[in-house]
Amino acid sequence: MLVLEIENLSAFYGKAQALREVSLTVNEGECIAIVGANGAGKSTLLDSIMGLVKTRGTVRLHGEDITGLRCAQIVKRGVGYAPERFNLFPHMTVRDNLLVGAFTARNEIAKNLDAVHRLFPRLAERENQETSTQSGGERQMVSLGRALMSSPNVLLVDEPTIGLAPKVCGELAKVLQRLSKEMGLTVIVTEQNANFAISLAERLYVLEGGRITAQGTAADLSKDDILAKSYFGA
Amino acid sequence: MTQILIQGMLLSGLYALIAMGFMLIFSIGRTLNLAYGAYLLVGGYVYFWLCQQMGLPQIVGFAGAVTAGVLMGLLKHRLIVKTLNGDHVAIEISTLILAVVLQAGVVLLFGDSSKILLPIVPGVVTVAGAQVTFNILTATLISWAVIIGLYLYISRTHTGRAMQAVSMDAKGAALSGVDPDRINLITWGISGGLGALGGVFFASYTQLYPGMWVAPLIISVAVVIVGGIGSILGTLVVAHIVGFMEVGVSSWSPELRGVFTMILIVAVLVLRPQGLFGREETH
Ligand SMILES: Nc1ncnc2c1ncn2[C@@H]1O[C@H](COP(=O)(O)OP(=O)(O)OP(=O)(O)O)[C@@H](O)[C@H]1O
Ligand SMILES: [Mg+2]
Repeated sequence: MLVLEIENLSAFYGKAQALREVSLTVNEGECIAIVGANGAGKSTLLDSIMGLVKTRGTVRLHGEDITGLRCAQIVKRGVGYAPERFNLFPHMTVRDNLLVGAFTARNEIAKNLDAVHRLFPRLAERENQETSTQSGGERQMVSLGRALMSSPNVLLVDEPTIGLAPKVCGELAKVLQRLSKEMGLTVIVTEQNANFAISLAERLYVLEGGRITAQGTAADLSKDDILAKSYFGA
Repeated sequence: MTQILIQGMLLSGLYALIAMGFMLIFSIGRTLNLAYGAYLLVGGYVYFWLCQQMGLPQIVGFAGAVTAGVLMGLLKHRLIVKTLNGDHVAIEISTLILAVVLQAGVVLLFGDSSKILLPIVPGVVTVAGAQVTFNILTATLISWAVIIGLYLYISRTHTGRAMQAVSMDAKGAALSGVDPDRINLITWGISGGLGALGGVFFASYTQLYPGMWVAPLIISVAVVIVGGIGSILGTLVVAHIVGFMEVGVSSWSPELRGVFTMILIVAVLVLRPQGLFGREETH
């Protein structure tokens, strides 16, 4: 069943166009990756799904046209987003950051907090730490945790491996896989790190200069060296 | 000396209440609301009109004043702040003009002579040799109760936490399902209500007159600049510094009353622009 359908989506910052007629589909419970170099438009694509950027085209969620809805309304419909720069609340504790994430899911706080703590035991230990004093890896956990507090069924994760040690990347991949395999979430991850993306995703889209230039399974894409080409411009 | 201590304590509580509403808008809406003093003006006059002209009970006067303040705050957000959409200079100029227009409106309706607001609670009590009016005592106690309530609201409720969230990272708040626009609207309403309530007390402490919006505005700006944005505790502490300074200075030389407040503003702006209790902006 289709969870997310994006059709001919273009995005604009003033006059500058950052996405050009992007179309993609995501099935329920699937984990897909969007790979692309710096400035390819990965963050813009996720921001556009959340209604944070001016766009043209359509975004449908569970068949419903959500184009033009405000971010808060899209969160309410079950989309969680862990953005590239985290956008945490720096002078709040870990716990309060998570509680803000529960703004639209107040009846499920106990259940979701428990799930987040099982996923990231470190957040339970550091409940009362201000996030401004946390390490990058810990902030990544708070960011993912906050997104999960809204009881999402679709999770968008923007370049989660930036600045993480290889070992931590491996743990992160496991967490994202658990979310999709065990908890049934539909996961969309953007990445520059093609290996990480391949280790994680069932299908990949390649984004170059705001356009989707290739798509398929990891096997499809590595067959023709498409990933390598899109990076090295060969 | 005791007189200064007690008066300083009482006046500071009232200043803290007044500055709190201004601080909220500055921290959450990121707007320097130069019409903030107008809430105090309108609050004072609505109370005067309901209680002293219409002869209605005090509780009606308070309810009317606070309602007027809340409505003004909501309208200002919808009609001015949202329409001008983040253009800070335009917002500041138009809010200042609005205050002047409201002052003219008050002159038109009530005349430009000053009015005496009857004490909210009449009587005087002697504390440790110092004379304290029940009026200012009541104002201070209610101010404290409201400040504590506000603190609990902001730190313990979902909407309160969302207000903090918007002040720290509006995008982060939006993708947590908080509508920053709605939170701003609520904040403007609360700010208006706090200002109007402070206005009733301020008018009963001083006088009711059409220009009474200026002094509390300067006090609020001082408290927020010196205290730093986003801090209820900073606002509380600095309101006390300003309050004690004013009482102390005016017992020694009444003409200099406001001057030291100004010096404090400039000194802090030069030495520590984020305020004594403010945080460096992290981005
Ligand atoms: N707020 C903005 N205003 C103007 N242009 C922007 C803005 N944000 C992004 N852009 C432009 O849009 C294009 C796509 O940017 P985007 O951040 O989506 O790329 P990205 O793939 O996420 O890159 P990175 O891997 O560096 O995060 C870039 O050319 C960028 O300069
Ligand atoms: Mg990006």
